Amino acid sequence: MRMKRNHLRAAALVAGLTCVSLLAAGCSSTSSGGSTQTKGVTITVALFGAPPPKASLAAFTKSTGITVKWSTIDWDSLQTKIAAASTSNTYFADATDVDWSRVGQEGKLGWFLPMENYINTKSLSGDMPQLSSFTYKGKVVGIPFDSSYLVTTVNKTMFAKAGITSMPTTIADYTKDLQQVKSSSVSSTPLNIPFSAAEGLSTYWYETTQAFGGTILNAADKPQFTSPNSGGYKAAQWMVDAIKSGLVPAGNINVADSQGQQTLMAKGVVASTFADYSGNVGSLYDVPSTSSVLKQVDYIPTPGVSGTADNVSNPDGIGIPKTAKYPAAAAKFIQWFTSAQNQADFAGASGPSKVMPGYFLPSRLTGLSKLTATGGLVDGTELATLLKTSKPVFPDGAPVWYPQFSNAVYTNLHAAATGSMTVDAAIKAIAQEATTLAAGQ
Amino acid sequence: MKKKPWGRRIGVAFILVWSLVPLYWALNISLQTDAQASSKPSNYLPPTPSFANFGALLSGNGDLAESIRQSATNIFIECASATVVTVILATLAAYAFARMKFRGRTVLFYGVLATMAFPAYTTLIPLYQILTNFGLVNTYLGIVLVYVSGFLPLATWILYNYMSSLPIALEEAGQIDGASRMQVLWHVVLPLARPGVISTAIITFLFAWGQFLFPLVLSSDLSTQPLTVVIAALEGRHLVPYTLLSAAGILALGVPAVIALILNRYIVSGLLAGSVK
Amino acid sequence: MTTVIRTKSASAAASPAPGGWSGGPGDMGRRRRLDFLPYALVTPLTLFIVCLALVPAGFTIVESFFRIQPLNPPDKFTGLGNFQALFSDDAITTSMGNTALYMVIGVTLSTGLAILMAVTLQKKFFGRSVLIAILILPWALPGVVEGIVWASIWDSNSGLLNSVLSSLHLIDHYIIFLGENRFLTILGIELVQVWQITPLSTLLILASLQNIPGELYEAADLDGSSPWSTFRRVTLPLARPGITVAMVQAIIATLNVFDQPYVLNGSASTGASLTMQTYFVSFQNLNFGEGYALSLLITLVTLLASFLVLKFVYRPVEF
Repeated sequence: MRMKRNHLRAAALVAGLTCVSLLAAGCSSTSSGGSTQTKGVTITVALFGAPPPKASLAAFTKSTGITVKWSTIDWDSLQTKIAAASTSNTYFADATDVDWSRVGQEGKLGWFLPMENYINTKSLSGDMPQLSSFTYKGKVVGIPFDSSYLVTTVNKTMFAKAGITSMPTTIADYTKDLQQVKSSSVSSTPLNIPFSAAEGLSTYWYETTQAFGGTILNAADKPQFTSPNSGGYKAAQWMVDAIKSGLVPAGNINVADSQGQQTLMAKGVVASTFADYSGNVGSLYDVPSTSSVLKQVDYIPTPGVSGTADNVSNPDGIGIPKTAKYPAAAAKFIQWFTSAQNQADFAGASGPSKVMPGYFLPSRLTGLSKLTATGGLVDGTELATLLKTSKPVFPDGAPVWYPQFSNAVYTNLHAAATGSMTVDAAIKAIAQEATTLAAGQ
Repeated sequence: MKKKPWGRRIGVAFILVWSLVPLYWALNISLQTDAQASSKPSNYLPPTPSFANFGALLSGNGDLAESIRQSATNIFIECASATVVTVILATLAAYAFARMKFRGRTVLFYGVLATMAFPAYTTLIPLYQILTNFGLVNTYLGIVLVYVSGFLPLATWILYNYMSSLPIALEEAGQIDGASRMQVLWHVVLPLARPGVISTAIITFLFAWGQFLFPLVLSSDLSTQPLTVVIAALEGRHLVPYTLLSAAGILALGVPAVIALILNRYIVSGLLAGSVK
Repeated sequence: MTTVIRTKSASAAASPAPGGWSGGPGDMGRRRRLDFLPYALVTPLTLFIVCLALVPAGFTIVESFFRIQPLNPPDKFTGLGNFQALFSDDAITTSMGNTALYMVIGVTLSTGLAILMAVTLQKKFFGRSVLIAILILPWALPGVVEGIVWASIWDSNSGLLNSVLSSLHLIDHYIIFLGENRFLTILGIELVQVWQITPLSTLLILASLQNIPGELYEAADLDGSSPWSTFRRVTLPLARPGITVAMVQAIIATLNVFDQPYVLNGSASTGASLTMQTYFVSFQNLNFGEGYALSLLITLVTLLASFLVLKFVYRPVEF
């Protein structure tokens, strides 16, 4: 009996040690190199949003021999998955999302294979204006596949009802117009700002900062919004004043970006969103099942300090994770996915059968011109014009510590909007965080 | 003695209102379009009820319907397997803890329970790495193993409580009659503990049904992704399809509701009329 | 025949009941089989727990004392460094306070409601099965859908609750439930989690109640006991095991709350929870050492709270 007990104890010990050693082996294992094979392989593409039409993917398979398995995951969860898989050195997809805001972080960590090793990125830069913000220290982390940017939308019908027929070109005029809409009772809360402590608030502030003529960080990652005369400071003040003075619905302290657009702007509760998303007119405001203000909303050039301002871009990109099994095949897919004709088709240039749901704006200028030529994009010419002058939030790429910085931005601005801190204190806190983070690098 | 069932009537009414009002709200939203769903004041009834959302999720061969079908199959397989394995292992172990003396019993019992205290985010990466080493990522087996390890402590605890409260006289009688320990377990204890076993099965199944974070990381594609991950994936980058999500949520209630209806007459009985006779 | 109920005192509550097969003749010959069988029965459980739960847990504990930041290699030992960083971070200390409130509110509400609902369902009546099936539905609803449904109920611009209150002319302008007042925000968010976790607590307590023999209630009736008195003297004490498990589960769920505050209130300090911070620290800031340290703190608080519940609420019960 004593012998049996000892045996059992020993067995348990061995089992435990096996697990520990396996775990240790797991920690130190490196992923096997990716294959250069392209024909006859199946790659997994993990992106938010529905896949391209089956027929298009089938055509791709026919011409390249590569089968595509599409894995749809919502954006938030996808970032979690990318982080988990990359830190564990585990394969999860051959191609996946590279967000403009993560370029710095993912670039420094080497989580994505440099695209210039697989496709001719130099020849792309002329056609893709935003490619430069997807570069980290000379390496291309991902290829932007859409050209999402922030844009001002106005419900022209509501403005007209309030007696405003020409669109404002300066922020001062814009604010005055909003007050006129409010006082004429067309809408008691004409402006939409999503003050929920989430990423949408940060991007709204970036756009407003740019409109006020400021920037967020300079090339050395130093905060550029600390002085009360700076664009960022004024933008924060303007935004918080707007909710305090009743231009923005009081409940917006808990409204996120998409929520505000879908439940306020698309319902005619508000008359304008200063930093809306490009493509929303065609995909949200003019769609009968989602909007009560059909054909009333239009894009306008963003009002600035002394005239209209440039827009801030927030494009989505696609890249090859370092653990990809078939990087060469993935690169072929990315080339196909971001080709000018496909981009135009996905957005509707060749009719509904080739549309990729949720895709609105090509990242290639040639793709965009194909699209506008067929008239397939609502307010297409306007969008194309604004795209040409859109600027990235961080001209030298998002900093490595962007998520922490953005967290500081939205939590402090939210607190300022609820009144639990002054705008001055909020700005100071954000700047403090940026300085600390930059110093830690 | 007369008993006025007012207390029970209030209780029943509360259960109905508490459980069903938000679910009614989900159903209400699912039958509207996004344009109707957030009107002010709210539409208490759908103005033009439409099953379009349900149709989009269930019918046809589009990507959406296919992914719903596939992930529904996945979640059912994963939850059912995890439940069966968990309940079997927990029953055996609980019987040992409740009725047998052996060295290390206390340490093992509390060690097992203590693992419940560790948050999911901590064990996520180490588990991911372990599964990777064994090539179990994106497999049913890997996911089921992780589920079982996560639900065993609670299942064991519930069954332990249940078994230790059973009258021991019956088991002793069985032993005196010459039955082996396992025979006593099978013929005497299990029938008595059936409500506990079924409750444990339902609880384990529901826990598994609601899992999101682990399958998100441990599955790579539709071959193993459960319904919860696919429903969350309905959210677009900047557009949240409220009505579609609500419809998907209502659909996701289907299987658990059916299981509960079928099984719950096994978990509730008339009060035991004193089994020791 | 009277049914014997043995309820042991608190001091014996700590260890598994030593009910067993000890003593008496015939035991010597059985001892060899006795020694082997329990180990065989618990081995599968042990293997699972050791390999897939204890090893990762051990990993967490060890790594919380290291600085592990892929952005700042190499990993190095920092002793209590991570813990100090946590306690000097305002956002995290605020979240600690929020989470403590979540726990107190959540455990009290869910356990209280679960007891009431379990007692309602204790005795047979027409439709009870259907009612139990309905009761479970809030738990079965996917988390993401629960989030948007309740967000739509609490919404300050066009939500259901505001709508109803306004239609009843109880308020003249819509109330902002979440985001302004910290306590109200936490209450509102926790109510959503309570809605989700109460089914589990109810099932656990109901299972416990099913064991109570009918004779006890008959005896209490004969003694002329009022329903409230019967409840206090018979039902509650004998449901202690089930209530204990329910409370511990509620402690774990509330200390780990994430989805509800995140969906309903974003990352605002009025409601941010510790698990939310763990997520940010680990997966966004990529400071895994600190993430593990925070998780370890959550674990310790969970163990402490559970220990208190075990000590003061649990009594082993045998019929």
